[in-house]
Amino acid sequence: MSDSKLEQVQAKTRRRLLFTAIHLVLYFSFTLNWTTWGKALTGPVGNGPLSGSILMFVILVVTFIALEVLFLAVDKAITKKALEQN
Amino acid sequence: MRHPCQLLKIIAALVSLSLLPLWAQAAGSIDGDIEQQAVNPTAIVMFLIFVVLTLLITWRAARTTTSSASFYNAGGNITGLQNGAAIAGDFMSAASFLGITGLMFVAGFDALILSLGAFGAWPVLMFLFAKRVRNLGSYTFVDVVSQRLAKDQIRLVAALGTIAVVILYLIAQMVGAGKLIQLLFGLPYEYAVAIVSALVLAYVAFGGMLATTWVQIIKAALLLGGVTFMAILIMAQAGFSFSTLLDMAVERHPQGEAILSPGVVFKDPIQIATIQVSMLFGTLGLPHILMRLFTVPDMRQAKLSAFYATLFMGYFYIVLLVIGFGSIALLYGNPEFFDADGNIIGGINMVAIHIASAVGGDVLTGFMSAVSFATILAVVAGLTVSGAAAISHDLYAEVLKQGKPDAKAELRITRIAVFVIGLVAVLLGIAFENENVAFIAVMPMVMAASVTFPILFLSLYWRGLTTRGAIIGALVGFIASIVLIVLGPQVWVSILGHAEPLFPYNYPALFTMPLAFFVIMGVSIADRSARGKVDRQSYHDLLIRSELGPNA
Repeated sequence: MSDSKLEQVQAKTRRRLLFTAIHLVLYFSFTLNWTTWGKALTGPVGNGPLSGSILMFVILVVTFIALEVLFLAVDKAITKKALEQN
Repeated sequence: MRHPCQLLKIIAALVSLSLLPLWAQAAGSIDGDIEQQAVNPTAIVMFLIFVVLTLLITWRAARTTTSSASFYNAGGNITGLQNGAAIAGDFMSAASFLGITGLMFVAGFDALILSLGAFGAWPVLMFLFAKRVRNLGSYTFVDVVSQRLAKDQIRLVAALGTIAVVILYLIAQMVGAGKLIQLLFGLPYEYAVAIVSALVLAYVAFGGMLATTWVQIIKAALLLGGVTFMAILIMAQAGFSFSTLLDMAVERHPQGEAILSPGVVFKDPIQIATIQVSMLFGTLGLPHILMRLFTVPDMRQAKLSAFYATLFMGYFYIVLLVIGFGSIALLYGNPEFFDADGNIIGGINMVAIHIASAVGGDVLTGFMSAVSFATILAVVAGLTVSGAAAISHDLYAEVLKQGKPDAKAELRITRIAVFVIGLVAVLLGIAFENENVAFIAVMPMVMAASVTFPILFLSLYWRGLTTRGAIIGALVGFIASIVLIVLGPQVWVSILGHAEPLFPYNYPALFTMPLAFFVIMGVSIADRSARGKVDRQSYHDLLIRSELGPNA
């Protein structure tokens, strides 16, 4: 196999693992709500009844979807660039 | 003379007891608060419409399901959008809709850990698996792991792991189905289990993956449409203000403001982490979910499948937030939904149906009951296809016939496997009617996280994996999962009657999955066999094919 092919695939692997790591850090950060360190999260946001914990849930769901969109966009751009170079 | 149902129960009980002596000691019943409801004609009419529609689709699908290949992957012609909807339909179970809504009714925010757990796996499916699994496999995830490891051994282990996960998942689904249908439709438990099994056999045996896919797509559309309509009606009651809805919920719930923050039922952060690990990595190892990646024509559509599945499920779990807090705001204090003792009628699984009744009357109640039934059919159909493929493709065609089966014989065995799985599901469903199945529902997720996921991940991402490491690590993950579940609260305390559990958590994957990884990697590193050398050498070739396609 050519070195360029292997490098290309290894770069893709690193990107996959990076996105997964970001996702897992965000996902497990939700546990903070049940710890003393995360106490600040559980209070109300502004003057309404909405708590930081509920807001965090919604933000995490939206962020996970945004991460996927970003992943697809980066993948598409890099694949296009690789095709142009070849 | 005994009634046939009683005879069936006795046979099933004997089979289950001979297989699992532990169950003889089981003391608890499944759920004290399941009550058979009055027959709901609206729900039955709506469900019959769903059945007629899906059977028509099955009839059409049966004409194209003429080979094992079309049986396993629907001909590989499903689009990313359709497959995303089908994955969502396969995964959004009655437990998600009824269970999470019920838990929110009781505990408020704490229930969201289950929503996030159920949702969190889908982006990882896209980042790590969608493209690579699609490029390397044909019909099952076992095809992928057997690419670089000793085929027969790893197929045998992975296929048996698949069958164990499918059977355990099926038992939990069938018992849940029986109880739920008893609850929603007023039908006797045995009839409910038999109806579910008969319909699934019809879909799967004749229509294969194509019919299963469309059942799952229709179910996803109905469920998403139903919860959207419910959420709009709930928000209308609160003047379309989420703050007002939360204010109403806080005012009526006995725990007051505590429902907006963590700590009503879950207090220990380790317990939260165990749930998160089991749900995320367990979902990534579920064979019936991974199998769906082979129904699309190429790797791009596989990635899109994962993306659309994430979109649909993200939307679903956010809408459940409205329904959960809406149920607190609109049901507490309404005597129509509580019995004389102050308990919610039918138990907390009925909360989602009660809120449908409160905002949408009989028609919405009937519709959501029918959707819940359809939900079970879609999940059981997906499991049955996966179990049948493990038997006919992984074991018969690839191990027994060394990849050269007679096509007609393979299709015949596939259909026989479907009937056997259907029969086993009915027998075990009836046998476990009065058992506590909570731990059976946990087992497949923990086992998938501790057996399937580590093998699949390392086979795709670690050069050092060897057959010996994979097999020993999988066995350790499997045994550790069973042992820790037995020593945990759901079996050691609830079933065996001890005062304190020997292991404190219900979901042990936080411990069993790292153990499986450690053993797989340790044994692989120490493996100096000739086979181990071949396994390592074949990695780079597999890596290229996994990213650039089979012809790279």
